[in-house]
Amino acid sequence: MARDLAVAPTERVPAIRPDYLLIADCIPGLIGITGPDGAVESCNRAVLEYYDVTLEAIQGWASSKLIHPDDIPAMIARQKRSVETGEPLLNEIRLLRADGVYRWFQIHGEPLRDSQGEIVQWYVLQTDIDDLKRAETMLAGEKRLLEMVALGRPLHEILNSLCTFVEQMAPECQCAVFPIDQDEHRFDKGFAPSLGDAYTGPLQGVPVVPGAAPCGAAAVHKTQIIAFDIESDPRWLTSAYRDLALGFGLRAVWSTPIVSRSGEVLGTFAVYQRHPGSPTQIQQDLIAQFTHIASIAIERAQSDSAIRRSKAFLTEAQRLSSTGCFYWLRPTDEIICSDETYRIFGIELGTPVTVQLIASRIHPDDSQRFNKRVEERRTDGSKAEAEYRLLLPDGSIKFVHLVSQTIATESGGVEYTGVIQDVTEARVAEETLGKLRSELAHVARVTTLGELTASIAHEVNQPLAGIVTNASTCLRMLAADPPNVEGARETARRTIRDGERASEVIARLRALFSKKTTTTGSIDLNEATREVVALSMSELQRQRVAVRLELADHLPPVKGDRVQLQQVILNLMLNASDAMSTVEDRPRELAIATGSDGADVRLSVRDTGIGLDAGDPDKLFDAFYTTKSGGMGIGLSISRSIMERHGGRLWATRNRGPGATFSFSIPCEPHDMLDAAGLTYQHQSMMVG
Amino acid sequence: MTATALVSVVDDDESVRESLPDLLKEFGFAVQSFASAEEFLASGRVDETRCLVLDIAMPGMSGPDLQRELTRRSLPIPIVFITANEDSCECARVLDAGAVSCLIKPFSEAALLRAVTTAIQAG
Repeated sequence: MARDLAVAPTERVPAIRPDYLLIADCIPGLIGITGPDGAVESCNRAVLEYYDVTLEAIQGWASSKLIHPDDIPAMIARQKRSVETGEPLLNEIRLLRADGVYRWFQIHGEPLRDSQGEIVQWYVLQTDIDDLKRAETMLAGEKRLLEMVALGRPLHEILNSLCTFVEQMAPECQCAVFPIDQDEHRFDKGFAPSLGDAYTGPLQGVPVVPGAAPCGAAAVHKTQIIAFDIESDPRWLTSAYRDLALGFGLRAVWSTPIVSRSGEVLGTFAVYQRHPGSPTQIQQDLIAQFTHIASIAIERAQSDSAIRRSKAFLTEAQRLSSTGCFYWLRPTDEIICSDETYRIFGIELGTPVTVQLIASRIHPDDSQRFNKRVEERRTDGSKAEAEYRLLLPDGSIKFVHLVSQTIATESGGVEYTGVIQDVTEARVAEETLGKLRSELAHVARVTTLGELTASIAHEVNQPLAGIVTNASTCLRMLAADPPNVEGARETARRTIRDGERASEVIARLRALFSKKTTTTGSIDLNEATREVVALSMSELQRQRVAVRLELADHLPPVKGDRVQLQQVILNLMLNASDAMSTVEDRPRELAIATGSDGADVRLSVRDTGIGLDAGDPDKLFDAFYTTKSGGMGIGLSISRSIMERHGGRLWATRNRGPGATFSFSIPCEPHDMLDAAGLTYQHQSMMVG
Repeated sequence: MTATALVSVVDDDESVRESLPDLLKEFGFAVQSFASAEEFLASGRVDETRCLVLDIAMPGMSGPDLQRELTRRSLPIPIVFITANEDSCECARVLDAGAVSCLIKPFSEAALLRAVTTAIQAG
């Protein structure tokens, strides 16, 4: 140390008071004194200690490396300007410390003037701002990287920038980031802009195991691994990685795991040095900071890709299920739609969607209902469901099912949101099924007709016999001499009555067996029952079945298709009759009872037949299940489906005594409820024949 | 032909009980009608009946039941069966059991007259 040189005066300058010199030496900053022309005259002790050179060397700064070569031209220019103008000298430059490291300094020079105002000296304070400068640079770099993350820049771009930046901050180092493929547990393609693909390539696909490389060890042990000198480190002496690193001139290898917030190792951050060594504290700080930023970037990239995947799944699911979703911004009537919603409404993707545009797609028959609902929904946010038909510009018709409601948003507001499903296929299938069902029901009716042929013939033949007989009698009475006019008139009247009776039978038959579409009306189940009993009387009587009618008075009407309900009753009666065909040891009794509990009307058909098999009585209602050798097994299944379409039920129970009871219930017509307490049973026992 | 021969009509169908006796009376027969086999058996007019016009299908005792009952009681009254069911088996069975005739409703007055006359002559 040339301590005595610090106070070397020149003759041209006023002597410096020794106490000032002492103060100058005590200040941690670097103080230089120059002449009015800027030539260095002296400096404090801190200057000499910093550079560890002689004053002469300092005096030749402009052509030395004491100031960073990049900063010299600016420094010369500024000093020249201050000398000429007398303005304070202000600058930021890098100065070479004794250990060979440039550090940033703030330069602040003020002129010393004599009594005439002439500059006689410059006092120049140089303050070490390297830490501050470094922190600023770090902050700017971090900010830039985080911006890239926030903007969703591609991961390779962010990680390459990160490496480049760290290398700027630590010029003696090179670095790389190796993400890990979580599923495969192998290293993904790494990023090392200064080393290149030739370095990262061989590491791609390498299993994440400690023996592979320091990176593997860091990932597996979840801790920083320092290879002071990869050449001699016993852990990787035989690994292929050692040769790779040495081939790139790398000696020190420091690997740090990149860990997610949830503790998962996302990859490793590797820093290399071309000579053996351990990281300095500054390097460790850099590593810690940028490992953290790398984890943010990789996590973001992973969640982005998860969102993309989930969005792709959602789009696919919406497409497959023909379901779209939408948000309705009620104040502006703007509707934000998913792709599938656009497709359902036949609107070109990206077109601004409004309530008016949607309304224009609604089938004219439904548009009044739609518009009314829209107005209601403006103020009502509760869950709503509706079904509409769409009429699209290409003329096609769609059936859509809509479910919507308001939901609270995270920000505390409300949003009106909903899903819309294209149910056209289901509706078309239902219609087809309905047609098939009605055809099947017709087949079943015709089959029943076959079973009833004898009964029908009997019903028709009976009045025909009366007609023929009466007509014959009438002719004979008129032909007598004198003609028996009174008798003839009476027989003619009977002829007419029998004719009417025959035509009633035909009318009933036509109603029951014609293939006409469903018509819904108000039905008195008692009346319907009596008609069916009348038609099947002869058949039942032939089967030696006694029919008992237990029909409730004042039975409330039900709503439904008369013919279909009569077909069910007929079916149950014929089944009951069949169930008794082998019964010889007891009366064959069939009781039909009606009643109501005020909400439903019930009808039951009770027989004294062979009863139900052990097991599930419900199996009887399966299509094609039959216990009859000649039956199709369709009857009960169709009967049940008819009852279900009437909102009712059909079931079977075992009697306490012999036989079984089949019952159905059907809702009363809603507006015409009768007091259930007022019901009485009219027991009407009759033998038919 | 015996003008005063009693023809008994047994049928549960009221229109038959109304129309058939009138026609038979026009033919000159004496006619009595009954709504069931049981009523006929209990009427006390079984013995004087020269011809029975009998419905096959009736609740309670059927036509064939009555035929068997009369055979059991050794009362060989000639029977003309009438039926609204075109069931040839049923007709064949009653004819085998000795019935004179089996008429399917509706039948002509000629067929009726022929059957009843044949029955009375057979008796």
